[in-house]
Amino acid sequence: MRTRDAARWVVLALLAAPALLAQDYPLPAGSINVSFPGDSPVLFSGLTDQSRGTARGSAMVIDLRVSMVLRNVSANRQIHGVTLRVVSQEVAVGGKGSVTYPSLHVGPGESFPVRIEMQLMRPTQAVNGPLVQVSLDGVLFGDLTFYGDNRLNSKRIMTAEELEARRDREYYKRVLQETGVNGLRSAVLESLVRQSERPRLDARVTRGGPSVASSAAPVQSGAENFAFLKFPDSPVAPVGGSAQVSGNEARDPRVEVRNNSSKDVRYFELSWLVSDANGQQYLAASLPASDPALLLKPSRTAQAAQDTALRFTRNGEPLNVGRMTGFVSQVEFADGQMWIPSRQALENASLMRLIAPSAEEQRLTDLYRRSGMNALVEDLKKY
Amino acid sequence: MRHPNRATLALHAGGDLGAWANWRTDRHVARCAECRQEIAAFRAARRELPDAAEIPGVAWNRLAAQMKANIRLGLTLGELEEPAPREAGPSAWARPAAVFAGLATLLAAGFILQHNGPHPIRASQDVEVETTANGIQVRQGAGALGLLHRGASDIDVNYTPGAQGAMSAQNVDDTGHVTVTNVYAN
Repeated sequence: MRTRDAARWVVLALLAAPALLAQDYPLPAGSINVSFPGDSPVLFSGLTDQSRGTARGSAMVIDLRVSMVLRNVSANRQIHGVTLRVVSQEVAVGGKGSVTYPSLHVGPGESFPVRIEMQLMRPTQAVNGPLVQVSLDGVLFGDLTFYGDNRLNSKRIMTAEELEARRDREYYKRVLQETGVNGLRSAVLESLVRQSERPRLDARVTRGGPSVASSAAPVQSGAENFAFLKFPDSPVAPVGGSAQVSGNEARDPRVEVRNNSSKDVRYFELSWLVSDANGQQYLAASLPASDPALLLKPSRTAQAAQDTALRFTRNGEPLNVGRMTGFVSQVEFADGQMWIPSRQALENASLMRLIAPSAEEQRLTDLYRRSGMNALVEDLKKY
Repeated sequence: MRHPNRATLALHAGGDLGAWANWRTDRHVARCAECRQEIAAFRAARRELPDAAEIPGVAWNRLAAQMKANIRLGLTLGELEEPAPREAGPSAWARPAAVFAGLATLLAAGFILQHNGPHPIRASQDVEVETTANGIQVRQGAGALGLLHRGASDIDVNYTPGAQGAMSAQNVDDTGHVTVTNVYAN
């Protein structure tokens, strides 16, 4: 009996050790530095900076939370997207983040709240000056014009999101117009079911470093070829490609595409699907063009090649990569125009159940879930 | 095999040994049928004692204290007259060594737990992006930058890895706006 009691105390002591070593304390104001350019079409106000540090041995975990209100101070343009850049150079060398707010309809003089929550881990406890720099990467307006230094390619990313938003908004407006409230409700419920049943994977992406694949069953490793889904109206078509597959790891994906359009292409991106042993498909990753200075002439080919390793798990277990499928999900022309697949093309290829909903579809279905059909109909009538 | 003395076995049967002596005796008893029988006999004798408690007018607590004192006195005198054989177990230096080993284990376990908690810190210098319990993060060595979406359920967050070394998370926040967070490995 005493032995058991003693063992219990030892276990409690072991569990409490990290907590005893950890010290939680507030950080001085100014841990987060927010700065926008002087001619920015959005201004921030009401900045609150709540940051706390927790020492864990020699390391430090810092929770940073910043809230503010962004206001459209442009003369007459409606803001449809904002991207903020988050950089902590001293924590993760070369590592950075961004927070994008797509699917906005913020008119001149109007404002909206934003909140950014971050967590930093540092090897040392010393805090000198701002830990995180938050700045404006770009603003997308309703006429698809852009403001910003675009270091994170937020112009292209937000433009693609805006095109998806318009595509899906039009779809729901058409459903409402053609089938009324009951038809809209059915479409929204179908989307919510699809979102909740979408098969999901956990992934970890590593740049460089040795392979550390694991597997759920004995597997062979080697080059696995992609199969491709092709959309008739896609300006770029995949020609061939492969990745090194071993267990739950896929390395060094390479896909060659051909420009079938009459215009120069500046960027393209593929979506990458993987199947498990049972044939269940999952959206694994996006595979962007690798050349930042790409200018793909008509009828010429180019590669999307990345020297990375992706490891997949599902419910904590390694998921052996089986068949791989790819399709073109985004093309940017040299003139700045963009192409995305139509909703009909995605439905025809049975891809809607696999890919994530667009930001606008997620917003609209969430609006229905939180506020009901009347709120959704009002929203659809607004824009 | 050296056996614990009878007093130790008696105290063990009553649960009156200290934690360390109790552990040592437990280990011995586990592989010694003779001592197990001895302890069983002490326990059987203890089971009869509650019947004696029924006798009125006896100050049992005082009596027990006197008996315990007498037993200790007798044991001490016995040790003075004739050194008892040493109990089975480690030699004199082993106890402090075991204490130090325990402390070292405690500190090591604390260190391991601290560094393998919800947000592990790796020694690897590879740049990795990954999902975490409530967000996404980019990590290199002992440093990491994470963007969080606390409060959003897993089913409401759509993650998309980027093969170039990126991770995206999309969810609707409590104001009804869609938020897309990204972390990049370069």
